[in-house]
Amino acid sequence: MPFSLTSRIGDPGGKTNPEELLAAAHAGCYAMSLAGELTRAGQETARVIVTATVTLDEVEGGSHRIVASNLYARARVQDMETAELERIARVADQGCPFSALIKASGTVTVTAELEGGANGD
Amino acid sequence: MATERRAQVIWRGDLMSGSGRIENVTSGAIGGLDVSWPARSEDPGGKTSPEELIAAAHATCFAMALSHGLAQGGHVPERLDTSATVSFQPGEGIAKIALTVEGRIPGLDVGAFEEAAKQAKENCPVSKALASVPEITLDAKLA
Repeated sequence: MPFSLTSRIGDPGGKTNPEELLAAAHAGCYAMSLAGELTRAGQETARVIVTATVTLDEVEGGSHRIVASNLYARARVQDMETAELERIARVADQGCPFSALIKASGTVTVTAELEGGANGD
Repeated sequence: MATERRAQVIWRGDLMSGSGRIENVTSGAIGGLDVSWPARSEDPGGKTSPEELIAAAHATCFAMALSHGLAQGGHVPERLDTSATVSFQPGEGIAKIALTVEGRIPGLDVGAFEEAAKQAKENCPVSKALASVPEITLDAKLA
């Protein structure tokens, strides 16, 4: 799979790059953590869609740093209030080892929504 | 300028018996990759995992940083064979990452290569992001 500096800081042009691979890793790690927490809350048949967006930015001194990974989760669950999903989404972030790593040098944000609105349909 | 890279995963069911799929990414270069907990924590069985993707991210980041550092010192590498091995401990997270590189760089001595590799290991953005991993090792040699 080809990669290059241009595909990393400019238009990807069909090539992957380290940050995109990290985004895929973070989305996968968090989706598993969220699935585990939803099961714990009695939601064994949930479906979650997780998007991770990793930001690479130039910092003081001209070097590049991964400054953030923002998680967005949409969940199809049974009989759950938005506030409860948001609570579970935060617990899942705390239990995701990759979130913990990123937080050591950048920020991780979590946004969670019920699929189809508050009734989950 | 900040660049953003996005990946989407869909997960169905619980953690232990359910499964997920990396659906798409910003560049379109990868997608349709299945993941599951047993494949992550036991035998991969042909499936990728977050740790394998981190390994790929770290190896590419390290390769870019090293090629840049070497070129700045006047030694453009002919070839850098890099690898990253990520050790995952279920319940704890990533315990160790082992980086290796074998370089073909005309006219460069091994000491200078080792120093350049050390700099790349310490300063590439993925290394910085993964700085809280308990152990990151480096094995650098010339081909």
